[in-house]
Amino acid sequence: MVQYIQCSTVEATQLDEEWIILHTENFTVTKLNEIGGFCWGLLNQAQTVDSLVQSLSDQYVAMEEISTRDIESYLLGLLHFRLIQHVI
Amino acid sequence: MKILHTKIGDHFIQFENAPLYLFKMFRELAEANHQPDLTVTIQLDFGVPFLNDDVREDRQADRIYFRRSDYLVEVEAAFQYAEISAYDELALKHALINLYSSFIVHHGWGLLLHSSCVIENGEAHIFTGHSGAGKSTAAVLSFPRNLLSDEATILKISAGKMEVFNSPFRSEIPSGGEETVFPLGSIQVLHQSLQNQRIILPKSDSLITMIDKVFYWSNLPAHKKVILDMLVEMAKKVPIYNLFFQKDNTFWELIS
Repeated sequence: MVQYIQCSTVEATQLDEEWIILHTENFTVTKLNEIGGFCWGLLNQAQTVDSLVQSLSDQYVAMEEISTRDIESYLLGLLHFRLIQHVI
Repeated sequence: MKILHTKIGDHFIQFENAPLYLFKMFRELAEANHQPDLTVTIQLDFGVPFLNDDVREDRQADRIYFRRSDYLVEVEAAFQYAEISAYDELALKHALINLYSSFIVHHGWGLLLHSSCVIENGEAHIFTGHSGAGKSTAAVLSFPRNLLSDEATILKISAGKMEVFNSPFRSEIPSGGEETVFPLGSIQVLHQSLQNQRIILPKSDSLITMIDKVFYWSNLPAHKKVILDMLVEMAKKVPIYNLFFQKDNTFWELIS
């Protein structure tokens, strides 16, 4: 199972319900909404798609369905901007 | 060419071999009995005329170099001594802005922001925006209010306090020599429009908006974190607005 974790070259800060992630080498800025920020917090330790889906289901019980595809898409976005990496 | 003692922000600066131009730009202190926070030696007739804004930052163990086609700034690592070699007066001004903005980031003291700043009812109000958005225009239209800056605002950020100092780094409107420090009341991001409207930005958008308004972003990750932390503090404490404004002074009705 592929695992993901935050890169060490980022600085993250929470402002109200949103998160701002600054990549300090590539100098990109990424804004995450509340749920994206919740997942970001989890990614300070190794996570799989399934573990994120499970944690989201536990945290946001009101959400009808958390799509694996949504989480994969979210992780792909973070990978693209080199905010997370695969755990080797 | 002689020694000039001055103050920028709350820092005492000593210029050695200062050309006459600097005596117009900076207020000379009558008494030179302060230990300078930074001593700067000036050399002119360096390099070639201005080509572009690209500055190369090169960090050695004991020195930092900022190189542009028309200037070279060499700073010792503790930021107490610096040498500036510049092609002409314009290059010297830009080199000084480069040096002072990196100096205040080095000390975690504050930021130099691309903006004008106007005093109203005891508070400082910043006007910023992309190039050509109207920073200088807003400053001119704000007359007879006093200005703290017309292109580069000196902002001190400490323990939750945001304070604006009079800036000697001017573009068109000379400094009136204001010596009082003013709390920062608001930031306006300018957009020229046919009608006036002011809309507050969410804090996350405030932070993103201000990132490219900082004069100096170090290539050192630790300094990037210092700058980011100061911007976060600013976004949390100061309301930042999109200001759509007509080119007259009526936009002040939305601020004061």
